[in-house]
Amino acid sequence: MLIQYILIATILLIIIRQIYLLKDGKLNKRQFILWLLVWLVAGIVIIFPDITSYFAIKAGVTRGVDLVVYISIILLFYICFRLLIRIEKMEKNITDFVRSVALKDKDEE
Amino acid sequence: MKILIIIPAYNEAKKIEQVVAEIKNQDYDVLVVDDGSSDDTAKMAEQAGAVVLSHQLNRGQGASLKTGIKYALKKGYDTVVFFDADDQMDAKEIKMLITKQKETGVEVVLGSRFLGRAINIPFIKKIVLKTALFGTRLMTGLKITDVHNGFQLWTRDALKKIELKQDKQAYASELLDQISKKKLLYCEAPVTITYTNYSKGKGQKISNAFNILWDLVVKK
Repeated sequence: MLIQYILIATILLIIIRQIYLLKDGKLNKRQFILWLLVWLVAGIVIIFPDITSYFAIKAGVTRGVDLVVYISIILLFYICFRLLIRIEKMEKNITDFVRSVALKDKDEE
Repeated sequence: MKILIIIPAYNEAKKIEQVVAEIKNQDYDVLVVDDGSSDDTAKMAEQAGAVVLSHQLNRGQGASLKTGIKYALKKGYDTVVFFDADDQMDAKEIKMLITKQKETGVEVVLGSRFLGRAINIPFIKKIVLKTALFGTRLMTGLKITDVHNGFQLWTRDALKKIELKQDKQAYASELLDQISKKKLLYCEAPVTITYTNYSKGKGQKISNAFNILWDLVVKK
């Protein structure tokens, strides 16, 4: 199917980009391997979509694609949640720092 | 009694000199917290006689007030009055807040434009504020008439008891929440808030109410 070609091509491009990021030091080895595994699993599911049907039936879900979507949604929610927490922490750190600079200037006067 | 007027300000170069001067005329110490303004707010405030603390980045009104509070506590002030930089408030009413606190012995005096006067208030702003009343009563149990009024007096002891985490506009709700949680003695006082084209342009967009709700839910 066309969608399979498009998705596989996209994944290959992503992996190539990842290799560059690894070379540039922007990604460490552990992260690289982790994400590589993610893309490989994605790739396998795309090339052999019937694998999902096998798991779907076991989970009581009619279609394989539905199972993939359900799992993806949960994962995405979780990732968003973790990101929100990190962002809040960063904002707090920035404010604390900006405040300390403002007050320090006054102390020196 | 050592009194400090704290004015959080963001890009208020047009009005800040006038606002600070009016308060200095009443003979109070003024602290302006310049929240990363890109204009001459800090310079104008200093010219008018205020002590100025400058945030190098814009962090929000809540963050600015917290910085001001830290300064006030450090410098030994025993009474603090929050005052807006956009010339919507009346400097002469500061004395009234102080008197009210002395008479009643409360720890916090909350200004209310609905007990006082809200001159030229945009109709929709009035609706949003009145709606927020219900939400606040539900969340904090406080029966007050103006839930987002920046004209407030806080005693040193009250300030030491509270914990402020909200950087942006949700701080106003957080203050009320703290009054409720820490069981602070408070009362309301009638104040005058005058809306001008300038201040309406600078004021919060009504849609910010959703941002405030979000901040309160995803509390830090």
